Order: sequence, then C-alpha cells, then structure tokens
Amino acid sequence: MDNDLYYVALTAITLASIYGLLALGISIIWSSLGMINMAHGFTFAAAGFGGWLMAQHLTQNGAAVILAGMLTGALIGVLIGAVAFIPLYDKPNFPLRSLIATLAISLLGAQALLWVFGPRVKALPKVFGQENFQFGSAVVSADKLGVIGTSVLVLLATLIWARRSRRGLEIRAMMQNPEGAALVGIGLRSTAMSIMAVTGALAGLAAILLAQTYYVSPYAGLTPLLKGMIVALAGGLGSIPGALIAAVLVGLVEALTAVTLGGQYVLITQFGFIIVVLLIRPRGIAGILEQTRE
Amino acid sequence: MKEILRIQGLSAGYGPLGVLHGVNLTVHAGERVGLVGLNGHGKSTLLRAIVGLTGWQSGSIRLRDQEIGGTRSQGPGRYTHRIVRLGLALMPQGDAIFHGLTVADHLDSGAFTRRAWRERMARRDRVLDIFPPLRALLKAPVGKLSGGERRMVSLARGLMADSSLFLIDEPSLGLAPKISKGLIEALTQIPLDDGAMIIAEQNLSLLEGYVTRLVGMHGGKLKGGGDALSAVALGAPH
Repeated sequence: MDNDLYYVALTAITLASIYGLLALGISIIWSSLGMINMAHGFTFAAAGFGGWLMAQHLTQNGAAVILAGMLTGALIGVLIGAVAFIPLYDKPNFPLRSLIATLAISLLGAQALLWVFGPRVKALPKVFGQENFQFGSAVVSADKLGVIGTSVLVLLATLIWARRSRRGLEIRAMMQNPEGAALVGIGLRSTAMSIMAVTGALAGLAAILLAQTYYVSPYAGLTPLLKGMIVALAGGLGSIPGALIAAVLVGLVEALTAVTLGGQYVLITQFGFIIVVLLIRPRGIAGILEQTRE
Repeated sequence: MKEILRIQGLSAGYGPLGVLHGVNLTVHAGERVGLVGLNGHGKSTLLRAIVGLTGWQSGSIRLRDQEIGGTRSQGPGRYTHRIVRLGLALMPQGDAIFHGLTVADHLDSGAFTRRAWRERMARRDRVLDIFPPLRALLKAPVGKLSGGERRMVSLARGLMADSSLFLIDEPSLGLAPKISKGLIEALTQIPLDDGAMIIAEQNLSLLEGYVTRLVGMHGGKLKGGGDALSAVALGAPH
C-alpha cells in the first residue's frame, strides 16, 4: 500500500509537470491573444517529430533532442500565430473565427504529418538515460526525475523571465488589457508572436517529455490538447498560478484513477473533475484564489 | 506658434453608427485645450480617433506634419501602438489599466521607448513628484486601488514616455469633486514645453482657469469649427 501511494504521487507529479507546460501555454494564449488555440496539440505532435528528426539524423544527445523539440514547437507556434492571429485579430467575431482557424490548422497539420512521416509511430531516445535511483526504499527512474526536473526548471525560468524582462512586462500587460497595452505603445502583433513562440516552445518541451513514455505519432497531440484544456479551464483561463495548481490536481486524478479503476477510465474521471470544478467555481481555481486574496 | 495637431474633415464611428461628422481642429504648442460637451456627443470618439481606436474613420489627422489618420473601415487598434510611439499619450475613460499588475509595473509599461526604458527609475521619480500619493503604493496591484488612485496611475503611466501631446478623457468621471479638482490641478502642473494637451470634460466649471482655450462639441461636430470660443457661449444651454 505504501508503495502504491508513493507510485501515485510520483506519477501525479510527472503528469502534472507535462500538463502544466501545455496548460500554461493555452491559458496565456487565451488571455493575451483572446484565442482558444485548438492547434496547440498539433504544435505538440510536430515538436515530437522535430525531436525524432534530430535523434534520427543528427545526434541522440538528450539536450539536442529537447532543444530540437522546443525549437520546432516555437516555429509551429509562430506559424499558427501568423495564419490564425495576424490576419484576423482586429476583425469582428475574432474569438469564433480564430477558433475555426486553429481547428483547421490542427486538422491540416495532423494530415500533413501523416503524409510526411507515415502512420507508423516513432520512438524517441531516452533523453535522461535508463538508470534507477534509490531513495531509501523508494525507486525513482531517471526519466521521471528528468521530466519533473526539466519542466520545473523551464517553468521557473519562463515565469522569472515574464516577471523581470521588458518583453515579459509587455506580455503580462497584454494578458490583462490588450487595448491598454496598445495605448502604452506595445505592439500587439509582435508581442503576440513572441507569446506564440514561447508557448510553442513549452508545448515542444512537453512533447519530448511525454515521448519518454509514449510514442510520437501524427495524432499524438489530441489527448494532450484535451488534458491541457482541462487543466487550463480548471485553473481558470488566464491565471498562471491557477493553471499550475490545476495541473497537480488533474495529474493526481489521473494517477489515482489509473491505480484504482484502470487506465481506460482516466478521461472519464478527468472530465468529471472539470465538470465538478466548473459547477462549484465557474471561473476555475483562480476564482478561489482571488476570493481569498480580497 | 508651432502646430502640434491638425485635424481636417474627420469622420468616425463604430459599425453602422457615425459619431463624428467632419471635425476640424488645430492645436498649437503650449496650448491646454478643454474639449467640452454633453455625454454621447463624440468627445471620447474624437480622442479615440486620433489614436486609431474607432471602428472606422476617414479624414486627415496630422501630428507634427506626419499623417496618422486616413481612411480605414476596420481594424481598431491596429496602428495604435505606432501612433502612440510618435509621442502621444491617451489617458482613456475607464483608465485602461492592468488590474493584476503593480503600480511600478504600470509606470514601467509606459516607458516604451528605448531611452525611456533605460531612464525609467529617474522618470518614475519625476512622475511620482506630480502624483505623490502613488509613492507609497508602488508595490500594490492596481486592481486594489481606489478610483482616484487608478486615475492617477493611468495619468502617471502616460507621463513616463516622451509624449508631447496628451489626450485626457474625462479626468473627473466617477470621482468625488474634491479629488477631481486635485487631479485637474496636477494635470496643469505637467510641463508642456513644446507639447500640448487636450482635456475632454463634461463639467465645464472644473476646467475654468486651468485651460488656455475651450472647444465645444455637439452632435459630433465642433462648435465654431474648433477655433477659440468663449466660455460664456459654451455655457449657454443649446
């Protein structure tokens, strides 16, 4: 039983760090660009292939594979921004139009990946090695440790960058009030592009990290997109701390379900979880945070 | 006197609605222009049209010999940041503040030119001298401030850059009369040097003695074509 509990906690944190990377991106894009990015899953899948190309043709080096994934993610993110945001953002009905545009990109993208790489799934190298570490009676595999470490590190770096740098200030201003941002001279288009690049890179990292357990395939982005959306919604769209807390909760729900009911029920319990959260707190966990702050 | 702003034949509105109908207005360096008129007659729309935030607009707007107007049927806000960077600051109604950011963040966000960003600490000091109450609130999120304090933040943010034309929309809106008076006084302390200021305000009596010229707005047109008008004529009910 003790071992079970430990396994649940470890799995939950591993999943939380991956979902957190995705949800943060979805949440930031929604609050700053006003766009629900349905193509975030495509960014994720394409980044997985980016990492695979690097491992296949250049080097199996872990850092290089991660970097390739993040770069591919950033590139695809910018591409989505250029197609779905730049031409549309000042037109009427932008939220609906961009939703349709990103959905179209997501479908087209998955087909393009299928066309180029074929339907066979690809395996990425174990970027964190194969060893197991012993902590007392508990055993941690290197890839779980690596997944948690890398995502925590990258998330922290991103948050510090957002708090300290000028670009970060522009992004935070745009998340709060796009018109006010334009009025203080912040270029919405260029800021949007850097947001798409950063969130794309985060999705790319998530893709490489998840590929330590699952295979890379053209449709690999679908489930992570759903789970990222669940986390972002449960956290309250637009709230960074909310998304991070929700990531841990959703990871916990998934790990607990897998242990008690079985893996096939995971999506059911997660949707149940989000329904309950939204019933109690329509604005997600961020609603609770703001309530206690006042 | 040097011309800062020359508006000719400006019409603007939102969707099917036309708000401004052929507005002409010239503002010279050193002027503080009071733009007065009733609610819903286009004062705010005029200021928003200057920064390109209306739904559509046509007509010429020249800021120091540079055309920033032109005809546009869509895309409110598409060029706003470029216009603002030419040295124009709009403090809009509702303040357009960032609720979760601190006062210090707001001031920094106003310093968008390279030089202003490097000098932002010195500039913060200068702006805080105009609005002393903000000094104690630098670390506070703006969403928690009172209406008067928010208005100060919005004004202070506009002063962080090298702006030479200040557009201020209803500084007294939603504030207690005493606070409004203080704000207007603070506004007149802002050194204009080579610049100018337009203050839109419903409450004519607030502006008395603080502006160099009054311009009336009625039904989307400027009364008297935007030239000097006596306050007496404006005060008369239409």
